[in-house]
Amino acid sequence: MAAITTAAQPTALHHDTHAGHDNYAAQLRMNRLGLWLFFISEAFLFGGLLATRFFLWGADTRPELDQTIGLIVTSVLLISSVSMRLAETAIERGNRRAFSIFILLTALFGLIFLAGVMVFEWGLFPSIYQGHLTPWDNKYGAVVFAMTGMHALHVISGIVFILIVWNLARKGSFSPERHWGVESCAIYWHYVDVVWIFFYPALYLIGNAVHIAAH
Amino acid sequence: MLKQSGYGIVIVIGLVLAALTVLEYFMAINHIGAALLMLVATLKAILVIYFFMHVSRLWTAEGGH
Amino acid sequence: MRIGSLGLVRGLVGYFAGLIVGMAVVVILRLALGMSAWDQEAVWVGGLISAIIGFLLGVGAMSDWLKWTRGIETPLHHGPPAGKPAWTRYFGVDYNHKVIGIQYGVTGLFLLVVGGSFALVFRTELADTGISFLQPGTYNTFLSMHAWVALASILLGVGGIANYLVPLMIGAEDMAFPRLNAFAYWINVPAIVTLLISMLFGWDSGWTAYPPLSLLGPVGYQMVFLAIFTIGLSSILGSLNLIVTMLMMRPKGMTLFRMPILCWAILATSIIQLTATQLIGQAFLMLSFERSLGMPFFKPIYDAAGVNIGGQPILFQHLFWFYSHPAVYVFVLPGLGVISELLPVFARKPLFGYRWVALSSLAIALVGFLVWGHHMFTSGYQPYLRVVFMISTLLVAVPTGVKFFSWLGTLWGGRLIFPTPMLFTLGAISVFLIGGLSGPILATAATDLFLHDTYFVVGHFHATIFGGFVFPFFAAIYYWYPKITGRMYNETLGKLHFWLMTPGFWLMSLAQMTAGTMGMRRRIADYDPALGVQNVQLLVTIAGFVIAFSILIMIYNLFTSAEIGVLAGNNPWRSRSPEWQIPSPVPEHSYARPISIVGEPYDYGLAGSSYVAMAGAGDD
Repeated sequence: MAAITTAAQPTALHHDTHAGHDNYAAQLRMNRLGLWLFFISEAFLFGGLLATRFFLWGADTRPELDQTIGLIVTSVLLISSVSMRLAETAIERGNRRAFSIFILLTALFGLIFLAGVMVFEWGLFPSIYQGHLTPWDNKYGAVVFAMTGMHALHVISGIVFILIVWNLARKGSFSPERHWGVESCAIYWHYVDVVWIFFYPALYLIGNAVHIAAH
Repeated sequence: MLKQSGYGIVIVIGLVLAALTVLEYFMAINHIGAALLMLVATLKAILVIYFFMHVSRLWTAEGGH
Repeated sequence: MRIGSLGLVRGLVGYFAGLIVGMAVVVILRLALGMSAWDQEAVWVGGLISAIIGFLLGVGAMSDWLKWTRGIETPLHHGPPAGKPAWTRYFGVDYNHKVIGIQYGVTGLFLLVVGGSFALVFRTELADTGISFLQPGTYNTFLSMHAWVALASILLGVGGIANYLVPLMIGAEDMAFPRLNAFAYWINVPAIVTLLISMLFGWDSGWTAYPPLSLLGPVGYQMVFLAIFTIGLSSILGSLNLIVTMLMMRPKGMTLFRMPILCWAILATSIIQLTATQLIGQAFLMLSFERSLGMPFFKPIYDAAGVNIGGQPILFQHLFWFYSHPAVYVFVLPGLGVISELLPVFARKPLFGYRWVALSSLAIALVGFLVWGHHMFTSGYQPYLRVVFMISTLLVAVPTGVKFFSWLGTLWGGRLIFPTPMLFTLGAISVFLIGGLSGPILATAATDLFLHDTYFVVGHFHATIFGGFVFPFFAAIYYWYPKITGRMYNETLGKLHFWLMTPGFWLMSLAQMTAGTMGMRRRIADYDPALGVQNVQLLVTIAGFVIAFSILIMIYNLFTSAEIGVLAGNNPWRSRSPEWQIPSPVPEHSYARPISIVGEPYDYGLAGSSYVAMAGAGDD
């Protein structure tokens, strides 16, 4: 993503007077628009997955998933969004210590979410928890793994993004005036949360649970 | 910086989102239809997009953070 | 100069190194998990993903971003690489949009030649009944490769037009995100290599790759899926960049309705590419996963009670055509924009109905999202959907008609001159008319049921794509050639190219449609002599060779004229567009001073009107 730059690009635009400041402002506006266009593009990917879900399952069936785990991972991701917003507020106020704490907390919540999905929903470690579904047995498993898998990929990239931003901040990057790196990381994280806001009812709540015996 | 949002509003929005999630859950166990569930989800998404992703900076903040 | 200092060479080394490492990692992982060492699907997919990343690391398309993650700032480099000949910049990562535009355009032309050659191979087979030299499996591979290589060439050609011209036309220094621009180009190259490698393994479904056939065929499919996914990523990133550039970097006075009309076409194209492309990426990813892991998205599985607990093949068609129909508007909209851009210059008259033309591009793009089901009239979906998709499809004719009438209105009463670009523009209109008029016949469910999967569809498709993309692309090449190289192409050879290609294409197109109505099916290596299409097939093949020969003339013309052509001057066509007000070839920093816009773009022939105001005196 072109998102992460903290540097103004001196030649990107024509500006005769106070070039440095104007260029940063202009580049920032373009970065924001670019990132939001990326979100719109991704919305079609996730929308395609939702359409797949409704096409194959219909609005009246859903797989048997563990409701407790669904509620827990959803809440954890929601809390991570709150802590991410607090981290951004902290950098806007120049409070680096609070920023570091909140952003690492966000990454931690992200890891808990991933663990919840992978260990419990996917049953990746049968010795800890026996999953309900496999990707290959039927359409329920296939779609659950496709949706959660594509979402988990975004969570993982979000966590990597957070760690990069945290490390840059630790080395002294970002100021209350110039912190596009933090802002882009934050709104990317919230975007991943927004996707889950739609995936949670689609996977866990809509329709009646169908029990399919493994074969 | 144009608008400095406080920590407080973030917590309030977080609580509203949590309440809506619980509402979704109880809607589901009472078999209230898919359309209404998606409506609540859309409401949650709008809250996140407006307050957390501050989408309005796209067209208001002239280059500030 | 060492050959290893060329980015392309380093990229290819990275590609094959990545391939070997990736395959080895998968094999080792499989052994560690207690599986058999070799599974061709998993090992190839792992290897090729790693190969694409290896290419990008080798060529250096991500090095600035990787530095940013460590907090190192990287100023943009301008000009050719230090201590190396200027031509080397075209073979490595360069952030100047003009270099990237040329890279796109030349790669696109190269692929057009490759994809066209594939067509000649299987056209030769079809010239007579019976199997002469291509076995059906090989025939199908050539046919399928022809499709995707040619489509990739069109996407790259569109990228070339857009990247070279949009910043110049709106007076911007460069694109909004130069690094992303370079990345979006270079990611195509490993994808093309992967696509070409797939030929060694074969794949035989035609470009649509419908399951269940594509789930059963050889491993070449996996390479196609990965290659197209990657090219799709390039489309998404490139169009994102173009939209931001056009919305944020226009000069003072250039409102949206004062943009050159080509920019409107590119904007509409970019909206489609940004969004719909995700769906084909997703569809091919799902196919890939279904093949590798057996996730049943598209293959039905029946339980003991006879209930389908697996997937549905028709889901693929919905996902596929949600992109692939709008994709043809991606191919034709920039071409139609080129036609609207060139006609006023050569008719010396204002563009007729500028606003309507601008909005018709957007309208085609938006209606295009609602018409995908007309490819599925025979798929067995709910019959009422046929009516819905038929009506929405026929609606596309309205904005397309707006464009046609605008072209007629522009030509009407103009003082026309006919250099090669104008000839190709008019040729484009004539060919697009053939494609356009055959469209409603296929959009109407009742007639499509009979014509589906026949050569009529092939004829219709090639007429729209040649009229909407290939002819305008050639017009654009001839038209902007003096701006790119500073020299004029050879007019005689250009006219020869036109007079071979255009009648050749009319013949080919009409013969294909005739064969279709006589019952010739698509995608088969052999046909029954009793159909009586032998002579028509022979005509199509001959016309195909004539077209190919004429394109070779163009390539010869382009290469030699760069050396020996007459110096063209800044504005040989007396255009009002900003890019013609600066020196040819365009200097490294296109505009020495910011420009501003003081009038309407296409007021040709109106006394005292002007469009561009250059800062600083002495510019003409």
